[in-house]
Amino acid sequence: MKLIVGGYAQGKLNYVLNRYVTEDYVVLDGGLTVNAQDHGKIIIINHFHRWVKESIRHGGCPETEVKALLAEFPDCIIVSDEIGNGIVPIDKMERDYRERTGRLLVELAGQADEVVRVICGIGQKIK
Amino acid sequence: MMTLILGGSGSGKSAYAEQYTMDIAKGNKKYYLATMQVSDVDKETQTRIERHRMMRHGKGFITIEQPLSISGVLQKMEMTDSDVKAENTALLECMSNLTANEMFNGNIPQSHKVVTDKIIREIQLLNKKLKHLVIVSNNVFEDGIRYDEDTTEYIKALGSINEQLAVMADKVVEVVVGIPLCIYDADIAE
Repeated sequence: MKLIVGGYAQGKLNYVLNRYVTEDYVVLDGGLTVNAQDHGKIIIINHFHRWVKESIRHGGCPETEVKALLAEFPDCIIVSDEIGNGIVPIDKMERDYRERTGRLLVELAGQADEVVRVICGIGQKIK
Repeated sequence: MMTLILGGSGSGKSAYAEQYTMDIAKGNKKYYLATMQVSDVDKETQTRIERHRMMRHGKGFITIEQPLSISGVLQKMEMTDSDVKAENTALLECMSNLTANEMFNGNIPQSHKVVTDKIIREIQLLNKKLKHLVIVSNNVFEDGIRYDEDTTEYIKALGSINEQLAVMADKVVEVVVGIPLCIYDADIAE
């Protein structure tokens, strides 16, 4: 698995498409469900943080769901905004979202073969 | 010697800072300077404090609670410890809480200038008395939101404090998704 992080609108997906994708791929946006016809393709999870938020909002457990995804697609590419670099929100749900997304990303980074931080389209390989 | 460790919420900066402090303390006395206000804690803050306590458990830190006037820890160190101070290491966790406490302690918020000057002065004092001071601070600067006046003052204060600490520090590390990135090292810098 590869993890790509960075701020909003920094060209993370473009970086992934230019750098890693030479064969058939599919970009999942807002969900982790891979359709049967996409098995065998490179799986790119885009806007991972938004999916985490939706999952929490609906009372789900993103931590468990991510584990299941990795078990089935250990070579996927996960793209996420870094959302922890701001003022701690007053709203509890927003706080949880930031905290849990952060912890999930730390966990994913620990497991990843490669971690890249993208800023203005430039990738810094940090693992 | 001083090290500044920065990171956002949930970035893994605390876990890294604890490990880092243990590595540099090398068996010498090490203090954990806890700045979170414990007088009016809600359940969430309590859970957060508990989580940090669990993380520290068994690592040999001596905890000192100091939500305000951080140089006050010097007196407490002397009271609890007769060892040679020069060998002591302390981990301050974290600057964002200390800054908020200093700013919003009274009926009206202090200006960012007053808060910044007070904290920097006290940190200088503290740093002189310790072999190694490790400070954890927060990156609260990148959400692109324009806040009310009080919050803006707070952001300015923490920004200025981080900037001045970085000048004093021998090493500045940013933790990103649990990975430490060294952004300044006096040994490598020209």
